[in-house]
Amino acid sequence: MATTAAPARPTIHPTYEPGKSGVWAWLTTVDHKRIGMLYLMTALSFFVVGGIEAVIIRIQLQAPNQHVVSAEFYNQLFTMHGTTMIFLVIMPLSAAFFNFLIPLQIGARDVAFPRLNAFSYWVYLFGGLFITLPIFFQVAPNGGWFGYAPLTTRPYSPGINIDFWVMGLQILGISSLAAAFNFITTIINLRAPGMTLMRMPMFTWMSFVVQFLLILAFPVITIALVFLLFDRFFGTQFYEVAAGADPLLWQHLFWIFGHPEVYILVLPAFGLVSEVLPTYSRKPLFGYPVMVYSGILIGVLGFGVWAHHMFAVGMGAIADSFFALATMLIGIPTGVKIFNWMATMAQGSIRFTTSMKFAIGLVALFTIGGISGVMHSSPPADLQQTDSYFIVAHFHYVLFGGSIMGIFAGIYHYVPKMTGRLMDEKLGNWHFWLTFIGMNLTFFPMHFAGMLGMPRRIYTYDSGQGWDTFNLMSSIGSYILVVASVIFFHNFFRSRKRGEIAGPNPWHAGTLEWSLPSPVPEYNFATVPTVTSRYPLWEGSEVDLESARINSQEGKTAADLGIILPYPTIKPLIVAAGIIVMFTGLITTKVLVFLGAAIIVGSLYSWLLSPLEPEHH
Amino acid sequence: MRETSRLRVLGTTGIALALALFLGACKQDYPNTTFVPHSEYGREIDFLWDRLLLLGTIVFVLIEGALIYVMIRYRRRETDERPPQTHGNVIIEVIWTLIPAFILLFIAIPTVRTIFTTQAKVAAGALQIEVIGHQWWWEFRYPEYGVTTANEIYLPVGRTVNFKLNSNDVIHSFWIPQLGGKRDVVTNRTNYIWLTPDSTMQPSVWNGFCAEYCGASHAKMKFRVFTVKPDQFASWVEHQRGPAVFGATASTGAAGTATTPAGGQPRESGVTSAGGAAPAVPRPPGSTIPGADTVAAPAPNAVLAGNRQPAAGSPGYIYPREQLPEYAKPHTPIPGNVTFTKGLTGNAARGQQVYSSAACIGCHTIAGNPMSVGNVGPNLTHFGSRSTIGAGSFPNSPAYLALWIKNARAMKPDILMPTLGKNEYDPVLKTRVTTGGLDDQQIADIVAYLSSLK
Repeated sequence: MATTAAPARPTIHPTYEPGKSGVWAWLTTVDHKRIGMLYLMTALSFFVVGGIEAVIIRIQLQAPNQHVVSAEFYNQLFTMHGTTMIFLVIMPLSAAFFNFLIPLQIGARDVAFPRLNAFSYWVYLFGGLFITLPIFFQVAPNGGWFGYAPLTTRPYSPGINIDFWVMGLQILGISSLAAAFNFITTIINLRAPGMTLMRMPMFTWMSFVVQFLLILAFPVITIALVFLLFDRFFGTQFYEVAAGADPLLWQHLFWIFGHPEVYILVLPAFGLVSEVLPTYSRKPLFGYPVMVYSGILIGVLGFGVWAHHMFAVGMGAIADSFFALATMLIGIPTGVKIFNWMATMAQGSIRFTTSMKFAIGLVALFTIGGISGVMHSSPPADLQQTDSYFIVAHFHYVLFGGSIMGIFAGIYHYVPKMTGRLMDEKLGNWHFWLTFIGMNLTFFPMHFAGMLGMPRRIYTYDSGQGWDTFNLMSSIGSYILVVASVIFFHNFFRSRKRGEIAGPNPWHAGTLEWSLPSPVPEYNFATVPTVTSRYPLWEGSEVDLESARINSQEGKTAADLGIILPYPTIKPLIVAAGIIVMFTGLITTKVLVFLGAAIIVGSLYSWLLSPLEPEHH
Repeated sequence: MRETSRLRVLGTTGIALALALFLGACKQDYPNTTFVPHSEYGREIDFLWDRLLLLGTIVFVLIEGALIYVMIRYRRRETDERPPQTHGNVIIEVIWTLIPAFILLFIAIPTVRTIFTTQAKVAAGALQIEVIGHQWWWEFRYPEYGVTTANEIYLPVGRTVNFKLNSNDVIHSFWIPQLGGKRDVVTNRTNYIWLTPDSTMQPSVWNGFCAEYCGASHAKMKFRVFTVKPDQFASWVEHQRGPAVFGATASTGAAGTATTPAGGQPRESGVTSAGGAAPAVPRPPGSTIPGADTVAAPAPNAVLAGNRQPAAGSPGYIYPREQLPEYAKPHTPIPGNVTFTKGLTGNAARGQQVYSSAACIGCHTIAGNPMSVGNVGPNLTHFGSRSTIGAGSFPNSPAYLALWIKNARAMKPDILMPTLGKNEYDPVLKTRVTTGGLDDQQIADIVAYLSSLK
């Protein structure tokens, strides 16, 4: 019964009490859903910036010997394209879903630390601006997203460019770490009665794994960056080759972070797809326990394969063999996921909504990225592939074909829950097909360019090298992706005002978040649900359905229900601003360092002494 | 349903397109292809690649085929019944965990075998070549012959060559796609890579690249590899190990018009040292790296050359210029703001004097020229025998060389070689060369001198 649609409603009932809709309300919000939407909007804005950077790169490489942009600016563009898409787009898009979905999926009223959650967002926003703005003045970071020392040390990069990168990543790391601890605490402590770990929706599970990857991987990059920061500002010699440093120190540290980072980027998308595929196949996820274990296994193995990024540096035969075999092992749980997704669809009743198409797109395209991944798990073969366009093709199939496709599937699936309105399916169809075609046209030819000898990160190439056609194809593909993205943004903003009213469960999904009104009231659950099944709305007992019935009622305010909500507060934003001021001081005047520190200490003190919420009576 | 049939068409087209691309890629008009290796090392990699491609294609076809089948077979129909609510099947899941593991065995075993064979210690008697990466050019030394050259290697076919890789500054990566895989050139470390060019090959030229991002002109850090017959190699070495044959004159072709450089208004800047006798070196990598600190120490082959008679008259074997294939000739356009006076004729003897009293000697070595013992830039002893300048950026012809000497920094971004032409704009120092710059006639003379160093 719960799988039938609620009839479309004429209006959206107010979810927020009057006076909570202005700019100030957004600046001071501690509501996980609003913070999730802030993440979403900010990350989509950075997606535009990173996309423009990519298109300029493709314009430059469309034909041989072009000089649309200078070598120096090109190097800034590819550095910032990678940095932006990884740290400012895919990670925060995932964070948007962590924020919005995890409490709803586990039956909680908010995350464990609502103010820390707001703090994470503001640090991300300010850190993102800090690292992005220099490109508009042509002083952006230019050492690649991997920032290999010694190129990034002061003697070889004397300018301010790398400073923005080192400090920007450091700032963004604060945001990710704070958020990760918050979500781990939330998932462990705030699950509704009956929501055992093995009943958690797969998205929450994959997010759970990702938070552990974050807290284990980010300290490593933090250390690596602290070394570099100290080298650049205070004269230490961790990476100073003139003082005898071994450049492999940076590479090992960076990739011990960098490889788990790949799974940080892709596991949330896997989680989203694991929600989308069962919904539109009308079948539970096939092999749920194996999906959980394979996700954990991918996360664990992900820490033991970092040096496969370094097969060319000369580690010796033993290390090469070890990291080759470990890398191949990761193919097994990843393959299992793909098989289980297909088994979920098999025997189902598949409805090809836009969301479903993007999810199937992930299965189809990530498979290609996985196969090419196995191809360079073999070190001798990798020596022809690494640092060529073959690698560029590979990781775009993983990150675009995997992460981005999965996130789009999630956006089409969950925007109705966020805003109460559906996105248009016809425009969505155009968006999907243009993305699918454009994506393959852009990235598939890069396999060939790479195996035909084209190195990565070159700002131009000579004619007569046999690469012209492939580059032209890639450039045309990227222009198609621009058109696709324009359609997406049009659809996205159009739906806010003119989209069809969604109702609580427009897709007849089975998990807890679909028992709530759309948009979700500020307090989430009028009554904390009791859970007896993985899909309470599909196969739940009377208890599940009773909580769903109560929770789907609209129009009640928190005050009506006697639910106590945390106070809104501006203090997390001020602390975040203090961090930015402090780092800015390092590249301008040292006074700002002390000013920033004073802001941090003062506002933290005030934050920690002010109560989270009104006293309970 | 419309979507599925479209997907089917798209899938078929995609596979056909991929296949066509692949078949196309196997043809030989891809001069840097990794699919047609010309060394045993390249073939070992290619064997692995073929197996990876075969297994990968099988897996690809099976998975995408199954996916398309599932999409069509289980699409929602009019009779919209609730499908069976299966939660999993342990036996099936165990099976499809084991299948990938089994497939991976066929990759893992030859992989480990190849790792150990290709990284084994090189056989005795191999030709040793020391490769030193610089931002952004390659230095090559043949220690057993006392030959130092730049951006070009000659290799005898059929003889194993062992490259010893070091970097003078940042990390580079040494890659000759047609001869095998790449190996990083890492600062403060020594790496090796060895291979044997096929003995059956006719004399050929291959492109080499820097594959690790190393800064502004990473794209312009190329080199050429000439695989030649053993006797041709012997002839080349015999000539290269001595000082250059010198004495002929060469004329400088017209490279542009005599107009003022289009670099904007001349600036009355207070900076006067640019392009003077002591070139500003903005990027000192530190004092402990060999080859980077001092310009006074004589290069080893300069000492060696003192004991040797110039190979009079007959320049040794050089790969014939007219037989250079298109892919080995640079086609980089000249930046619009660098021009040269038309019709100037250079005098090599005069050029030698100008060269020997100008900034050039601070960075370059020419064996046989006792003034020229710098070792920051490429060794120019047999400069006239090389096919390119600027690490594969431009052809080595008088016209390009004149522009290069006049304003190398406008021709290749951010390089160490200063702008030398009088009144030229130095894009790194962001100032004009006001004093100490060379005029076009002086440059033409230097061009004549350098071009004559066969």
